[in-house]
Amino acid sequence: MQSAPLPETLANLLGLDPNSTAVMIVMSLIGAGLIGTLMMTNTALAGPWAKRKITAAFTDRIAVDRIGPYGLFIIVADAVRLLSKELIVPEGADRPAWDLAPLIIASTALLGFAVIPMGNGIQLADPEVGLAYVFATASMASVGLVMAGYASNNKYSFLGGLRAVAQNLAYEIPLILTGASVVIFAGSLQMSEIVAAQQQSLIGPLPSWYAFVNPFAFVLFLIANLAEVGRNPFDIPEAPTEIVAGYQTEYSSVYFVLVYLGEFIHIFLGGAIIATIFLGGPAGPVLPGIVWFLIKIWGVFLFTQWARSAVPRVRIDQLIEIGWKGMLVLSLANLLLTAVIVGVTV
Amino acid sequence: MSNPWIAIGALAVVALAIPLTMMAVSSLLRPSVPEQGKRTTYESGEVPTGSSRQIKFNIQYYMVALLFVVFDIETVFIFPWTVIYSDAAAEFGMTTALLPMVVFIAILAIGLGWAWRNGAVQWVRSPRATKGADTYE
Repeated sequence: MQSAPLPETLANLLGLDPNSTAVMIVMSLIGAGLIGTLMMTNTALAGPWAKRKITAAFTDRIAVDRIGPYGLFIIVADAVRLLSKELIVPEGADRPAWDLAPLIIASTALLGFAVIPMGNGIQLADPEVGLAYVFATASMASVGLVMAGYASNNKYSFLGGLRAVAQNLAYEIPLILTGASVVIFAGSLQMSEIVAAQQQSLIGPLPSWYAFVNPFAFVLFLIANLAEVGRNPFDIPEAPTEIVAGYQTEYSSVYFVLVYLGEFIHIFLGGAIIATIFLGGPAGPVLPGIVWFLIKIWGVFLFTQWARSAVPRVRIDQLIEIGWKGMLVLSLANLLLTAVIVGVTV
Repeated sequence: MSNPWIAIGALAVVALAIPLTMMAVSSLLRPSVPEQGKRTTYESGEVPTGSSRQIKFNIQYYMVALLFVVFDIETVFIFPWTVIYSDAAAEFGMTTALLPMVVFIAILAIGLGWAWRNGAVQWVRSPRATKGADTYE
């Protein structure tokens, strides 16, 4: 299962020396370009098209079907439409912060994919602190959200920014503690090792994916992840019926694209983390690993879209209470319980 | 095995290049038609009053943020323990490996209980908001 990271594979493929740093830098850039393109393609498919189709199916409508097969060319049309819109800077915006926020939201989410094993040897890097790294990149978006909320000089944005922070703070700890409970099983933070540890059989043909080994942690993680990506029932940072669009109210043109894009990459990053630490990464029968990986992250994406259409939004006071009184206590209990189970079985 | 951080740095470059390229393309395509009133912040059609940075906001956002710092540092301490735990439990027995962490989490749990009792994680609504709600009932 242990395969070389993508830059090394590329170097070997082109017959170049993988020990030379210059070769590795060039190969890393090519590999990073490939990973970036793959995730941008997924996001382009999800944002303007799949999301509309799915929401339409839930609300018994048809949605985009005018341009191209199944309305797929709406992606191109939307890209041109949004990029050619006028950029309106709100009065009194805190300029450097207002410009930096979309950049931070979009690029930090993309950065997390560096350590995700996508099957068939597609993994850009495999540092020993993989899981800690991916949690760090996933939570950096909060900084962008605060900057967007504060710098817009709009009361709704400001409220949205505050809510986003309160929410991310409340659910960050359950998320990471539940992730830590997986590390107890795997005994490593390295992504390839966590995936490799899930390959044995649990009962019969059922693999020992941590979602089957510890379903309680899986459910906790799924819920905390919904809060982390800000989807119902935890979409109060945006809450279209209360505060317009929260922190993204004042963003137009390319900045809106970046904020929106960042959200979707973030959903896919959440999906990739779930797939890696709970669903055996790219493992699966018959189909190649990369296909299984894509199926899993799209599965998590469908789950968030289902929650978005089906579950009502919680209030801020409920959110804080569910997070600090429910999820945190449950995740601490889960951590200790996992430790006891692992301690008894070794 | 080469240094994995080269590849991560490369992805950082790509992750910055993609949004920057989009910004550059957009700046070539988009019009700029400044108009009076266009730049006013959107507050559901109301004329904005005052700066949004002078509004008073609920102190409880600060309370939960303060609580978060404690628990976030806690997770930093838990991670090294989770990595070595199963090996340590196999070598020194479960109690030796688990007990220090139980004590550590217990101290935090007492802290959380204290914060809970003192209402730090309880969202108190402002008297004005509750007064309005009372008249409806």
